[in-house]
Amino acid sequence: MTDASSGRRVGAGTRLYLYISLTVIAALVLLPLVTTALGGFKSLGDLRVNPFGLPNEWHVENYTDILFGQRYWRQMANSLIIALLTVFLTLVVSATAAFAFAHVRFFGSGALLNYFLIGLMFPAATAILPLFIRIRDLGLLDTYWGVVLPQVAFGLGMSILLFRNYFRSLPSELFDAAFVDGCGYIRFFWYISLPLARPMIATVAIISFVGSWNSYILPLIMLNTETRYPWPLGIMVYRGEFNTDWQLILAFITLTILPTIIAFFLAQKHIIAGLTAGAVKS
Amino acid sequence: MASVELRNVSKAYGEVAVIHDISVEIQDGEFVALVGPSGCGKSTLLRMIAGLEDITDGDVAIADKVVNELTPRERNIAMVFQSYALYPHMTVAENMGFNLKLAGKTREEVSRQVAQAAQMLDLTGLLERKPSQLSGGQRQRVAMGRAIVRDPAVFLFDEPLSNLDAKLRVQMRSEIKMLHQRVGTTSIYVTHDQVEAMTLADRIVVLNAGMIEQVGTPLELYRQPANLFVAGFIGSPAMNFLEAVIEPAKGDARSARLEDGTSIRLHPGSRVEPGLEVTLGLRPEHLSPGKRKDLSGRIRMIEPTGAQTHVTFELSGRPLTAIVDGSFPVTLDTPFNAAVAPDQVHVFDRSTGLSLR
Amino acid sequence: MAHAQATFATRRPISAVARRKARRSVSARGRLPVLVLFLPAALILFTLFVILPMGEAAWYSLYRWNGYGQPTEFRALGNFQVLFNQAAFLTALKNNGLIILISIAVQIPLALWLATMLAYRIPGAVTFRLIFFLPYVLADVAAGLIWRFVYDGDYGLFAAAANMIGVPTPYVLADRHVAIYAILGVIVWKYFGFHMMLFIAGLQSMDRHVLEAAEIDGATGWQRFRYVTLPMLGSTVRLSIFFAIVGSLQLFDMIMPLTGGGPSNSTQTMVTFLYTYGVMRMQVGFGSAVGVVLFIICVTMAFGYKRIFMRND
Repeated sequence: MTDASSGRRVGAGTRLYLYISLTVIAALVLLPLVTTALGGFKSLGDLRVNPFGLPNEWHVENYTDILFGQRYWRQMANSLIIALLTVFLTLVVSATAAFAFAHVRFFGSGALLNYFLIGLMFPAATAILPLFIRIRDLGLLDTYWGVVLPQVAFGLGMSILLFRNYFRSLPSELFDAAFVDGCGYIRFFWYISLPLARPMIATVAIISFVGSWNSYILPLIMLNTETRYPWPLGIMVYRGEFNTDWQLILAFITLTILPTIIAFFLAQKHIIAGLTAGAVKS
Repeated sequence: MASVELRNVSKAYGEVAVIHDISVEIQDGEFVALVGPSGCGKSTLLRMIAGLEDITDGDVAIADKVVNELTPRERNIAMVFQSYALYPHMTVAENMGFNLKLAGKTREEVSRQVAQAAQMLDLTGLLERKPSQLSGGQRQRVAMGRAIVRDPAVFLFDEPLSNLDAKLRVQMRSEIKMLHQRVGTTSIYVTHDQVEAMTLADRIVVLNAGMIEQVGTPLELYRQPANLFVAGFIGSPAMNFLEAVIEPAKGDARSARLEDGTSIRLHPGSRVEPGLEVTLGLRPEHLSPGKRKDLSGRIRMIEPTGAQTHVTFELSGRPLTAIVDGSFPVTLDTPFNAAVAPDQVHVFDRSTGLSLR
Repeated sequence: MAHAQATFATRRPISAVARRKARRSVSARGRLPVLVLFLPAALILFTLFVILPMGEAAWYSLYRWNGYGQPTEFRALGNFQVLFNQAAFLTALKNNGLIILISIAVQIPLALWLATMLAYRIPGAVTFRLIFFLPYVLADVAAGLIWRFVYDGDYGLFAAAANMIGVPTPYVLADRHVAIYAILGVIVWKYFGFHMMLFIAGLQSMDRHVLEAAEIDGATGWQRFRYVTLPMLGSTVRLSIFFAIVGSLQLFDMIMPLTGGGPSNSTQTMVTFLYTYGVMRMQVGFGSAVGVVLFIICVTMAFGYKRIFMRND
């Protein structure tokens, strides 16, 4: 294996072993996904006797019924609205706060930063009941904001840290030069820091978008009208309704994860870099 | 354009003082170099003049006005940074026009002034490029363009050439000199390279450990270093130092005896008493080979540079460097004889390090 | 010059004190507006929705309360007492531990092995990386549902595979001894690609001359891995384990579609337990007690792990 790691002189035997291992694992990874997508085209009976193979008869209507109905699109729209609100608010709030931590010296800045970093240490689930009561008392229950605000708040620790580290990594002479050119803090933020932080803006946006798009527990607790459900909630309801009509459930699953998969293949570089580098850099 | 005056300026980070009570007056239009080893406080001092560092004590005055509490912009200074500090996301034109834009100038005015500065620095063809598309020398020129475009009262240079390779450094050095001769703006130039300081500056301030060692024109510093530090810092290769004791005077003549008994004649004007322990300073270029054997020792190393050859020979157990003409024949391990003119021997009190001339 | 200095010296003692007081730092100017503009939003959001709820959880955990009106029925540590006597919670604790263990014992070595194959330019490396990372970008809920189908005893892949080789159909998710292991399989399937990417990033940032130096020193492939690559990846491995721990402690979304914590509570994790016994039954006090225990475990783990293993990273 380390012959591959030095990238040269890989013998034919090693190479064969390497590709066989990789192909087997790739097949195991893809099998559930492919059978899910294919299963959506089958009849229930076909699925029962032939879950691996191609459908005997292509039941395209399993998919088209969903696509022509409202339900699927409404869930996607709900997820999209919640995710976009989350991303926007996260970027605005965390980039500004991180700038203050990175560039403005003030009394207690270290302690205050640590205060935000507490948020990195525990998931929203720990405080889910008091959070529910707070959202209820604020009258935000069953609204998008009831999901968005806690989501943003729990992401702040990570995104502030990412932005702060990034701002700090910019050469300090840039700050001096801008100061000499006549920038104050706010203009420096607007004209220099923010444009230069575009890669980090993308990273934070990806992390918070993916987090929000996939999130389940917060909407589960904060929303109770089905028309406001984002897709992870919606799909669970759908599964409850159709219970053992697996072919329909599989079609629905396939359609709900399709946007993710398409986005992933279109922007794989950014998404992988965002989700892993984001983790490493904080 | 303006004069710059430092009055008893000090800087401390908490309890640690890095600049001690420095006073310098810089005339309108003068080019002054702040030079010293790294960590001597020269950059800090420059940043205090710029308004990038707070002043712990004392005053900085520009054009006779105390500017301690003014921002860099209000001080009307421009600065060229060691890393150039160009804004990577802006084009050359945007970089140069940024300060004008912030000052609220109209778009036409900005582009007119940028075009003017670009022409002066031969940047006209590069205005739409990003800094990453420029060579080191071009970036350096953009950094200077950014400084002159606004016509400031004072130019501040913080080691602007240290990121360039040797050849480009010499070229940019002369460009800076020509630029100064053309615009005549008061300039303060920080460098650790004494050659750069010597070639560029009207006057040099030698700093060491946050204090001024000497202020003077390049030739004053070379000819009359006030102390051992300046003597060792200015000149390349560095001055040779020898420990000696003053011999009893014979009339007007003064001389000092080295450890191995060699006697060296000193300038008659030297303020020395017999028996005083001194350090003698001999510049390598003043050790001329010849018949006279004022100093002599075995050759230990030969470094040809082409026009000249640096010869290291041993005198009373210490290495001494001499510069001889490139055509002068020298052989390793043979004796080297050098003549020394008494008025080129520098004498320093060994206990205080001060010059005795 | 000398003159200026002299006059200054006489003036100094009088004005020095006053001047020092009046002196305002240049960089301090403009600080206040930027702080007032940039900090409060984050501060309010964070305090309102993270810190206060956590504090309230600690407070509510001492009461029996259904969430309406004010908590009045003080139970001191009663909730905690009940909690630690509840078999389902102990199972949940055990399951969280098991998940961490599997992550370290299976998932990370697998990820490391694949990373050493895919970190460099071999044909197809990028495609394999994409495939392996794909499950990670899918939502836990979707992954859970997909595997619910895979494991399904009537229509799923397991059932079909069992039929093919002629063994009785296993109902893996319905068997309280097996279900948790089935879930562990899904966890490995979903998360190994993420760890692999961490390792690939780590490998790519390594100076390859070091490996070449080891080769010149006569190290074999395995020795190079064991004595050069692995130690140099140390910080990445420690980070990877850290993420596995953090991830395990929050595991919820995936369990719900797979088993919902069943059968007979055999696949509960701390968060599904909190949901089942706290949220579903609106036992705010009891649920908060679970939250507090989870919080303490998270913080101890995070602090302890960082202190012990990641001190130098």
